[in-house]
Amino acid sequence: MSNRTAFWIFILGTASSALLFIFLTVDMHRQVDALTNADKLTDDVVAGKKVWEKYNCNDCHTLLGFGGYYAPDMTKVYKRRGEDGIRFIVKEPEKAFAKSWRKMPKQNLSDAEINSLIAFLKWVSEINNGDWPPQDSDKRIANSALKLTAGAGVNLGMALLQDKGCLSCHNYKGVGDEDVPLEKAGEKYDAETLKKLIHNPQSVNKDASMPPQDGLSDAELETIVNFLKSKN
Amino acid sequence: MKYKSQGIARAYFTVALLLFVLQVIVGLYLAFNYFFTVPQGVVDAFPFSTARAFHTNLLVLWMLLGFMGGAYFIVPEETEREIYSTKLAYIQLILLVGTGVAALVGFLFGWTQGRPLLEIPTLLDLFVVVGALMFLFNIGMTMITARKWTVIQGTLLGGLVFLAVMYLFGIPFYKNTSIDWYYWWWVIHLWVEGAWELITSAIMAFVLLKLTGVERKVVEKWLYVEIGLFLFTGIAGTGHHYYWLAAPRYWLWIGGIFSALEPVPIVLMVLDTWNHVRHRKLEIKNHLTFVYVVGCAVLHLAGAGVLGIVHTLPQINYYTHGSQVTVSHGHLAFFGAYALLNLTIFYFAFPQLKGIVRYDEKLGRICFWTMSLSMLGITLAFGVAGVIQSYVERVMGLGYMTAQGHMKLWMAIAFAFGLVFLVGVIVMVYDLLFMKPARQEA
Ligand code: HEC
Ligand code: HEC
Ligand code: HEM
Ligand code: HEM
Ligand SMILES: [Fe+2]
Repeated sequence: MSNRTAFWIFILGTASSALLFIFLTVDMHRQVDALTNADKLTDDVVAGKKVWEKYNCNDCHTLLGFGGYYAPDMTKVYKRRGEDGIRFIVKEPEKAFAKSWRKMPKQNLSDAEINSLIAFLKWVSEINNGDWPPQDSDKRIANSALKLTAGAGVNLGMALLQDKGCLSCHNYKGVGDEDVPLEKAGEKYDAETLKKLIHNPQSVNKDASMPPQDGLSDAELETIVNFLKSKN
Repeated sequence: MKYKSQGIARAYFTVALLLFVLQVIVGLYLAFNYFFTVPQGVVDAFPFSTARAFHTNLLVLWMLLGFMGGAYFIVPEETEREIYSTKLAYIQLILLVGTGVAALVGFLFGWTQGRPLLEIPTLLDLFVVVGALMFLFNIGMTMITARKWTVIQGTLLGGLVFLAVMYLFGIPFYKNTSIDWYYWWWVIHLWVEGAWELITSAIMAFVLLKLTGVERKVVEKWLYVEIGLFLFTGIAGTGHHYYWLAAPRYWLWIGGIFSALEPVPIVLMVLDTWNHVRHRKLEIKNHLTFVYVVGCAVLHLAGAGVLGIVHTLPQINYYTHGSQVTVSHGHLAFFGAYALLNLTIFYFAFPQLKGIVRYDEKLGRICFWTMSLSMLGITLAFGVAGVIQSYVERVMGLGYMTAQGHMKLWMAIAFAFGLVFLVGVIVMVYDLLFMKPARQEA
């Protein structure tokens, strides 16, 4: 190979890749509004993005999988924690994670800032990003729970109560070691309230001592609520 | 040292080395946070997030100062002319270091742009741009007034301009998060897998040329092929970061295919480095420089090439994206490719800057192996933690903190290797700054 050939490898290699890249970037701009629901990208959402940046949340938490890996990904947190859950955590992380072995700083956000932040996280949770992250995919129920039911003929709802740690505080028909029974819950509340209650107990009962339950996908929550509502 | 103005490099290198030590100390604090419950009061005052901004900004700052010092060392020899303005070069150093210090102090008080790796506030970005312009002007004027062009020089300048231009895409505020991250990668990815690779190729070619005495034509031919392949795979390869940020689906194909080819030029670089070293025509003065050159090529391949390709396909990236797998790759890639590249040029230049022909290599060898092996340990520990995380959190869906619980042990192991690494770095800095001529052999 001569130096001339080498030179042309450089020119053509660079130019072809750069042209393709620029062309696709233009196309991305054409499609991105539809993919990210840009019509819902309100001023409040933009203000929320600024709050997110002002407090550098992103160097502990990932967003879309980018950032620091020290704390849970925030892409779908709105679906996991809901509005009240997020508000409670951001306002009083020292209480929310009092029992956790990893802490989040108390950064004294104003109520207005928290509202914008929630609007931002809601918008992010709805963009069409290829159903990432897998653990928050609505299509999935934790494998471990599925495994529990497959072998032993255990009801999926019961398996989830076990797997998600509910039974460390609750008791269901003799299973579990503490004394808040769950058998009656299905009669006391309608399905929507139950969902809210499990997600964020304080939103239903101000004095509730049960901590908000994260780590439940929509499908899992649905299954648990159906299980509690059914008379088995 | 043939030209007086090459002495500028010494100031740049010295500052870079001190910042490197600081970066690693902060890295230890980060790892510590992963397995030890830091109390709420400490978390409120100096949270992980601030420390992470320290760690990564120090990293980028010391490496860029190293590259710039390297350029001030190489350009006079290539152009056979003194640097255009020595004074400007020192002013530039003071400006950039001052900006860096202001940024770090600012982070402590919550003055930040709040975007990972690009935390520097917009006002300070302007100072960085001024510093970069001073630098490019100085280097450019040296080359223009010399009227002597070599491929090495051109590649170096091209890489530096490319680097500076890409930085601009990180400055604006983007309303749409997806677009924000899209251009964030124009800085991060097109730096480490584009501009910085050009700079690396140029510096490696220069060092090999000087050390081995291989014909310039041969070195330059491979240089063209390498940078051609780097840019061909690397530019469109940016797509491997566009899988899950709400960009069109075709990025899964483009990103996957182009980035899977990214290791090819790195393999080529290892082969031609090895070839040149084997067929050298000059007598070896300091064997240690070869250890660094070859070590750099090999760990560049291991960290960027091998650990890059394992998680670059969308089918795998879906589960590993944004986990400790990424951190494992990030560390070995940065260390192998860019930390060792800087150390290569430091070990090449320092003896000349001090007028030492042959130096005592013993300490230098010990710390090369200490740093490299402990970095492999760090990488392995992060890697195991990452696989556990991907499986427990993403595949089984057991929740973030559950997975973190299972990873604790491995994060503690990373910390332990980090302590060894820190010792290696400190000894290396001492060795370079207080280098002694070798005793006359009997
Ligand atoms: C020093 C690192 C750090 C910073 C900075 C930080 N967080 Fe956190 N955050 C954490 C940790 C750690 C957890 C998880 C603790 C646990 O589950 O035990 C957490 C949990 C959360 C959760 C609950 C997530 C879930 O699904 O369980 C939300 C919501 C949250 N943080 C929001 C924020 C917001 C908003 C900011 C910025 C204002 C922020 N965090 C800044 C460390 C941090
Ligand atoms: C740390 C302990 C704890 C955990 C874990 C926990 N809970 Fe609770 N839960 C409580 C306590 C205590 C109450 C009683 C009301 C209160 O003080 O909040 C309660 C109340 C409830 C109620 C209302 C019961 C009633 O009859 O009024 C439901 C339903 C419920 N929990 C469901 C769940 C589910 C589902 C999970 C698992 C995803 C769960 N809880 C996990 C402590 C816990
Ligand atoms: C020397 C060159 C390289 C360096 C310094 C480097 C460094 C990094 C860093 C620091 C990150 C994390 C960025 C972040 O999210 O904060 C990253 C991500 C990534 N790198 Fe590299 N890299 C290099 C080369 C490569 C190559 C050649 C490949 C592919 C073959 C590759 C594949 C990836 C992938 C797929 C990710 C995304 C990980 C994720 O999804 O979280 N890298 N790289
Ligand atoms: C004592 C040695 C070191 C330790 C213990 C350490 C530890 C860490 C930790 C815990 C993080 C945070 C990752 C996260 O967000 O969870 C980090 C980030 C990072 N470190 Fe280090 N580090 C060390 C040395 C280095 C060195 C020598 C380099 C480069 C040569 C480096 C480059 C980086 C990079 C690029 C990131 C950002 C990672 C990413 O986004 O993937 N670190 N480090
Ligand atoms: Fe990349």
